[in-house]
Amino acid sequence: MTSVSKKKHSFGRNKRTKLANTILQILLLFVSAVYFYPIILMCINAVKSRREMALSVLTLPKKIIWSNIAYVFNDIDYLTLFRNTMVVTVIGVVGIVSISSIAAYMLSRRSTTRYAKVTRAVLIAPMLIPFQTFMVTLLKVMMGLHLTGSIWGLGIQYWGFGVPMAVFIYYNFMKTVPKEIDESAKIDGASTLRSFVSIIFPLLRPVTITIIVLNVMWIWNDFVLPLLMVNSRSSTRTLVLGAYGYIGQFVTQWDYALCAMAMAAIPSIIVFLILQKYIVDGVVAGSIKG
Amino acid sequence: MRKKILSNQRTTRIETISFTAPAMIMVVITTYIPFALSIVYSVTNWKGLADKATFVGLDNFIKIFASDPDFMQSALFTIRYSVAFVVLSNILALALAVILARKMKFASFFRAVFFVPYVVSMTIVGFIWEFIFTQGFSSLYKVLGWGFLNLSWLGSQNLVYYGVVLVGIWQALGFYMVLYIAGLKTIPNDVLEAAEIDGASTIGRFFQVKLPLLIPSITTCLLMSIINSLQVFDTIMAMTKGGPGIASMSLTLNIYQDAFIYHRYGIASAKAVVFFIMILLLTKVILNALGRKEVDY
Repeated sequence: MTSVSKKKHSFGRNKRTKLANTILQILLLFVSAVYFYPIILMCINAVKSRREMALSVLTLPKKIIWSNIAYVFNDIDYLTLFRNTMVVTVIGVVGIVSISSIAAYMLSRRSTTRYAKVTRAVLIAPMLIPFQTFMVTLLKVMMGLHLTGSIWGLGIQYWGFGVPMAVFIYYNFMKTVPKEIDESAKIDGASTLRSFVSIIFPLLRPVTITIIVLNVMWIWNDFVLPLLMVNSRSSTRTLVLGAYGYIGQFVTQWDYALCAMAMAAIPSIIVFLILQKYIVDGVVAGSIKG
Repeated sequence: MRKKILSNQRTTRIETISFTAPAMIMVVITTYIPFALSIVYSVTNWKGLADKATFVGLDNFIKIFASDPDFMQSALFTIRYSVAFVVLSNILALALAVILARKMKFASFFRAVFFVPYVVSMTIVGFIWEFIFTQGFSSLYKVLGWGFLNLSWLGSQNLVYYGVVLVGIWQALGFYMVLYIAGLKTIPNDVLEAAEIDGASTIGRFFQVKLPLLIPSITTCLLMSIINSLQVFDTIMAMTKGGPGIASMSLTLNIYQDAFIYHRYGIASAKAVVFFIMILLLTKVILNALGRKEVDY
């Protein structure tokens, strides 16, 4: 808000900026409408008949074909796939948060020991190793450990891939938590584990939210790892794999494909709209610290 | 007394190890062992997941560089993709950020619109655009009659590059925009006001005051966009699978194909090693180059 005196002082200029602002707003409205149009196209064509889609994909459907949704819902067994995606995400995120926070806590409290220094380096270094450089041998290792072909196995694998960034973020934050807090708890007779769980972990809340946001978005939308690990049976697929199944090498039935895509994408868009502030803040915090 | 101190030290050590053990075990299993195996298999002729592999020395590496035109072409494509992606997405994101970081009506609404593609799975983004390129453009052509809409954007050797770059930028733009907005918000207002009082124009203020102060954000965004674009996979896999021919084949897709379609695991592992060294060197070079340019007022 500009103060009254300032407004009076530069009236002509303000009028000009106001006009410029309006033009900018209209321009932005146009650009953002074009920018968002692909998402809308996906949604409107998901409920169009194939015949109408052949005539035009741009317009709103004259008649909404609910049966597209019903067909895809049953065909990919949406509830199972939704549950699978949910289970993988929850297992992954809970595991990443628990094992990373406790490791980062220990590392920051014993940071001067050689063991802690080496461990920290070992835990964080994988951030520099691209996934594609070891995906082939990863599949071999995971087959050996019987972690392929199961939703639980997939969720557990994310622990390893999520640890490096989570430890990095937690460790940097732990440095700002005074040692006196857990030391006084220990003098009162609490064990290290107990003082971590009941005193330190609650203090980590802001970074925990960042880590949860980043990992939920990543795991929910991930494609390559589920493709390698759980795509062989339809009962173990995730939502993204369900949509992938409709895309043919040569011919694609776009009405069903778009429907499956929308049904996979809309949950994440809704979650984003609800938790917008946390997600944007979390993404920023994660990349500036990472 | 002495005994007690000793046993205390031991419990401390046991605690340190056991609290870090779960994270260590998971990282070793999911990353270090597979990565080490990649290096091991890069010097073998490993052909199938169940197969025994025999040692072939540096044959795979020689083959990659001497007689594998696909590898060189996909490396070239990856670099071309990266250059366009990094330059365009950073410039556009910065421009959007400068506009949307100001106090104005609906700023948060516009920010949300640009961020939505980033929360959708990259694979689905690829499919949406495959649909638009193959079905949407022809519908638009009927309405607007613009010639470029009638081209086969994903089916032509020359055009597919632009299509793939466009989709990559569309998906990630909001992410970099948000990072730049965060950077702009850390610039203290008094610095900008001082520049205004000194008579600097809007453009002058941007290039001489804001931009130097944004170097940390620019460093972050450049580094992230370079690393992310060199690893481009999901969107291309969804849209073209590297085609037509190998016109949109990225290095990561080439590795994937060698392994899971042609079952040349040895060659794929060797390519993975080369790719890793490439990324590592590049990261180091960029960090060194950018590290010296930070400004502090």
